[in-house]
Amino acid sequence: MTQTDTISSEQEDLRLLRESARTLFERAGGSGRARKLRDAGGSFDPKMVRELAEAGVFGVAVPEEQGGLGMGLAAGGVIAEEAGRVIAPEPVVLTIGLSLGLLRRLCPEHPKMAQLIGGEVSLAVAWQERGPGGAPADATCRYADGRLTGNKAWVVSATGSRGFLVVAEQDGGPVLVLAEATADGVVIDKRAQADGSSLGELSFSGTPAAELASGDAVQAALAEAVADATALAAAELVGLSECAFEITLEYIKTREQFDKPIGSFQVIQHRAVDLNVMCEVAQAGVREVLALMDSETDPKVRAQLASRAKARAVTAGKRITRDAIQLHGAVGYTDEFDIGLYLNRALVLSAWLGDDAYHRRIWFDAREAEGAAQ
Amino acid sequence: MTDCNAMSDADFRKEVRQFFEAEYPEELRHLPHRPKFAEIEHWHRKLHAKGWVAPAWPAEYGGMGLNAAKLLIFYEEQQRWGVNRGRDMGVQMVGPLIIKFGTQEQIDYWLPRILSCEDIWCQGYSEPGAGSDLANLRTRAEIDGGEFVINGQKIWTTMAHDATHIFMLVRTDPDAPKKQQGISFLLAPMDQPGVEVRTITTLSGETEFCEVFFDNARTPSENLVGELNKGWTMAKALLSFERIFIGSPSLAQNALGQLESFARGRGAFDDPVFRDRFAQAALDVEDHAALYARFADQLKRGETLGADVSMLKIWVTECFQRITELMIEAAGPDGGTIGPLQVGNVSVDVLASFYKARPTTIYGGSNEIQRNILSKAVLGLPG
Repeated sequence: MTQTDTISSEQEDLRLLRESARTLFERAGGSGRARKLRDAGGSFDPKMVRELAEAGVFGVAVPEEQGGLGMGLAAGGVIAEEAGRVIAPEPVVLTIGLSLGLLRRLCPEHPKMAQLIGGEVSLAVAWQERGPGGAPADATCRYADGRLTGNKAWVVSATGSRGFLVVAEQDGGPVLVLAEATADGVVIDKRAQADGSSLGELSFSGTPAAELASGDAVQAALAEAVADATALAAAELVGLSECAFEITLEYIKTREQFDKPIGSFQVIQHRAVDLNVMCEVAQAGVREVLALMDSETDPKVRAQLASRAKARAVTAGKRITRDAIQLHGAVGYTDEFDIGLYLNRALVLSAWLGDDAYHRRIWFDAREAEGAAQ
Repeated sequence: MTDCNAMSDADFRKEVRQFFEAEYPEELRHLPHRPKFAEIEHWHRKLHAKGWVAPAWPAEYGGMGLNAAKLLIFYEEQQRWGVNRGRDMGVQMVGPLIIKFGTQEQIDYWLPRILSCEDIWCQGYSEPGAGSDLANLRTRAEIDGGEFVINGQKIWTTMAHDATHIFMLVRTDPDAPKKQQGISFLLAPMDQPGVEVRTITTLSGETEFCEVFFDNARTPSENLVGELNKGWTMAKALLSFERIFIGSPSLAQNALGQLESFARGRGAFDDPVFRDRFAQAALDVEDHAALYARFADQLKRGETLGADVSMLKIWVTECFQRITELMIEAAGPDGGTIGPLQVGNVSVDVLASFYKARPTTIYGGSNEIQRNILSKAVLGLPG
């Protein structure tokens, strides 16, 4: 097989995966489903999680010997893009990137691995804390004698998850523990987000929890999983941006003023082109990053690549969804039109795991460090 | 000559790179201006002896016969090493048109002279009233015996003052129902009483553009290429490969490299605002390269490029401009100074880069025209 054949057959794999994911999401109700779930109280649908699992979605980037499909992060990106297109509230990126990203690196034999891949449970990951440090190394949430005490912040899908993977401190080093959501001493302070979901501020007081791994390996696995999730969140934003653009394009073709579709006016056309170009650049950049991350082993380089992807996707996603509102005119400002759901989801995905300004800074610093090392 | 298409991409790239690095004169690398032929004649002879003057032409006409994949590699290496394209209007524009639409006599006569640069060509398309609206051109050519008699004016004719011949679009049927009809493609010698060339001084002080005036200039009727009144469609058919070339990342990549060494020497990276804007520009270049690779892969698979390839040109030229604007910012009070600025052992001509970036959003179909094309041909917007 020539090299070109390999490339095109890999693309064929991804294309098929994309088709089946798209069909699954569309059949479930597309973006209308997101609206219903939001109106019903803002969590995700566990039934959908199981359906996604049956299609192999969550194990897509998990190696085959650990029970996954072994298709790499590029395939995870395909799923994330498709989830983004229908603004699905299910924890797709969270599970593929963070939860499974941690477990497969630290304790691939743990039964929760299979349950996550099988869609039987969802686990939120509590790794950040408020405060001056903020870095996982400065964790003040303490684990001792099988019990967890302290606070964790910005926990995505805290409501609706069966349990929490918590990065805590034990004897001066990092530890990963599993706490059940229903365990004693767990308090979840829900902070409502723009898209109807909520961020959890968790507080544990003597909560029983099981140790999964400890030591420097936790630190390293966390950094890798966060990089994976960051790049996948970028892919989710790319899918979201694409669909927001398509909705807007359709709207300017049909909305008439001055007896013409507004899309016949040059100023509207040029703005539409700019959004389209931005979208294509983001898609090409993010997909390239995911493919590169699959072949790259140096964690520093992988993290820098992830920052490149998120910086691009947030810049494009913010601009596209905001201009989409403008191009819709007054109806764009109503809750009734779907375009607003895309804006709101973009706000949440942009803030999660760092926005564009943050990631440009990280990317630049990594580039400087690499330059200094050479 | 070895069959370059049979080589692996990596081997071919290596061979091209080695040739450029060994043979291309150091002082001609990354020339900031377009050279006259005399300046690069020595290099052209080497290229000619190697048989590498016309990478895209079929081998039977004296070209390298490269397929799309190899052609991209050739151009990438050319740009990477800062190898000047030379006076390549003949090779890029006239040759392919003659090969596609010319008679056997035209092929036998003109092609060898293009390769040897015995004839040096300039392109007579734009006119004062026909820029973005090129089909509006008015320069007339009328048959008089065995000759065409040409009257009118061309403008923005690159390097006409250093050309022996001009290929031009002329109006041969002023009564055609649509202005795109009634246009023909003509070849004409420059050295004759009815042709007058005046150079135009640009903002950067260069004189690479010209006005060309035709006052009863003459050219033999056998210098009509293709059918009479079919010139518009022919000229358009040529542009497909040009469209990815004009959107290649190299100009912006080179400028970014210059910006980085200059900014470092100037201490501009101490400023967090500058750092962020540099990062933005650098990421704009990287992600553009990813999109460029997508289109290049399409070509390599043997597919024809669609109108959407125009987005490469829009993105990269505007990015190139932002990079050169950052150079001026980094120069601070020297931002208005003509000539190279020295920082450490690097010398950067900030204004030259800035000026070089300006026309890129105007030529080859202005970016506004590209947006019109995308909005209609790709997005399907009405009107």
